[in-house]
Amino acid sequence: MNALLTSAVAGLTAGGTYALLGVCAVFTYRLVAVVNFTGAAIGTAGTFVLIALYEAGYPIWPSVAAGIAAGTLVGVAIGYIMTRWFGEASASTKAAVTVALLVGIIAIGLRLTGGQHPHNMPELFPGSAFRMAGVEVTIASVLTIGLAALFTVLADLFLNRTKVGLNLRALADRPMAAELLGIRVQLLSLLVWGMTGAFTTFALMIIAPQRSPNFMTLSLLVVPALAAALVGLFRSFWRTLAGGIVLGLVEGMASSIDSVSQYRSAIPFLVVLAVLLWSQREARWDEAR
Amino acid sequence: MSKLVVSNLSINRSELPVVSSLDIAVESGAISVLLGANGAGKTTLLEGLSGIIPVAGGTIEIDGREIQKARPGVRSREGLAHVEQGRTVFRQLTTEENLRVSLHAGADIAEAYALFPELVQRRSVKASLLSGGEQQMLVIARALLTRPKVLLIDEMSAGLAPVIVTRLMSAVRKLADNGLAVLLVEQFAALALSIGNRAYVMRRGRVVHDGDCLKLLKSPGELHRLYLGG
Ligand SMILES: Nc1ncnc2c1ncn2[C@@H]1O[C@H](COP(=O)(O)OP(=O)(O)OP(=O)(O)O)[C@@H](O)[C@H]1O
Ligand SMILES: [Mg+2]
Repeated sequence: MNALLTSAVAGLTAGGTYALLGVCAVFTYRLVAVVNFTGAAIGTAGTFVLIALYEAGYPIWPSVAAGIAAGTLVGVAIGYIMTRWFGEASASTKAAVTVALLVGIIAIGLRLTGGQHPHNMPELFPGSAFRMAGVEVTIASVLTIGLAALFTVLADLFLNRTKVGLNLRALADRPMAAELLGIRVQLLSLLVWGMTGAFTTFALMIIAPQRSPNFMTLSLLVVPALAAALVGLFRSFWRTLAGGIVLGLVEGMASSIDSVSQYRSAIPFLVVLAVLLWSQREARWDEAR
Repeated sequence: MSKLVVSNLSINRSELPVVSSLDIAVESGAISVLLGANGAGKTTLLEGLSGIIPVAGGTIEIDGREIQKARPGVRSREGLAHVEQGRTVFRQLTTEENLRVSLHAGADIAEAYALFPELVQRRSVKASLLSGGEQQMLVIARALLTRPKVLLIDEMSAGLAPVIVTRLMSAVRKLADNGLAVLLVEQFAALALSIGNRAYVMRRGRVVHDGDCLKLLKSPGELHRLYLGG
């Protein structure tokens, strides 16, 4: 029983990351109408800039800042491709384009980072924050969950309390009507891509030491992230947040049960399936808005 | 001098010419009414003017500045506003939020409420829940807050009760009297001609008539002939 609890708590860090990546996916979907499969890959690119600088002997925090800046830039670059050439495309076309981009980014990333070559990923926040039911809760897990909650609160405030947020909601509702009113549609879209790029990069930097810091593995964290977003039906930030955390916990528990541990990467898939069957909202994937 | 001058304009849709070598001019302080049968190319023309679809050739000038290559947002900043067919309110936003989105420097939401006092008590209502007439008022008011020099309006009366249509027409007349250049596309020919100044009739992508609104209003036979051709 205690072992189960320990591994559940160990899954919290992953859960926090899934939650943050999921919330960013919902943010992107709601505001620029793209189911973005490159979300984690963008953060991975930024994380590897940090790793490269750190391995080259640069001090850690400036390297973190450079990595986040790089992740933001990659996000903006992908956003540019999506708004410039696929702005008018259907939701399913856009999703397919991001899958293609994901494959491209992974290929380039693996080439540049040397595939399975072991990397020295600095642990940004080592140690435990507190003990819960006799189990150590790491600072990393508290931080990722906190960051996810912070992003959720900030996104909410930003969208509902600021003029830029209002413009973004108008843009999400009717892009052409917004553009006809002189709203700087492209700039706003790139802002969304940049913001999510920055947040995902930081989240991946925190979780990378716990995973094998391999470009492909980290990029594919988008799968549980989109599963979490689906729990929120690509609308609700808070349900996505909860979905991500629960996904991490379940995955953690599964890893301690020998008979199921080898199947634990299938859990996001099972969650997706369960949510789809339960809510019968498959249409969400294809809905234009 | 005309605010909006369109010269030799051509617009294609799916590679086929829909607007060909078209010339029109829209003056400040006046309503130019654009009539034409279904499929004549009126909506296509307005969409080409505002930049929703690209033009194949010709020029569009506002105050002598060519805008035919600019993006819709740029044309808006140059003083062009387009009230699209189909009452394109931001559905998830309230009435007031719809207005705030388009609020440009120097404009005041009070102007919108002064033009359509009906909207005041609906300010906190989600735009998707407004009546058709209220939605039409909202999109016209919203366009107004961008401080345009030229206002393009596409079939604002579609599906609305006659009393509302009259209300909208008189509001548009007021805007023109205050100096705006209006290009009004309408199905209700008689009503539009009764408030308009200059009348254009389009057929198969070309202007086949350019004259005075009242004159055309007084000769229904002529209008009928222009619509049907011959
Ligand atoms: N998206 C499109 N693709 C291809 N052809 C189109 C498209 N939209 C319109 N057309 C064609 O262009 C022509 C002009 O259409 P348009 O909508 O501009 O006419 P309209 O004068 O506004 O008609 P209505 O009075 O019915 O609104 C029609 O023949 C129509 O079939
Ligand atoms: Mg039309």
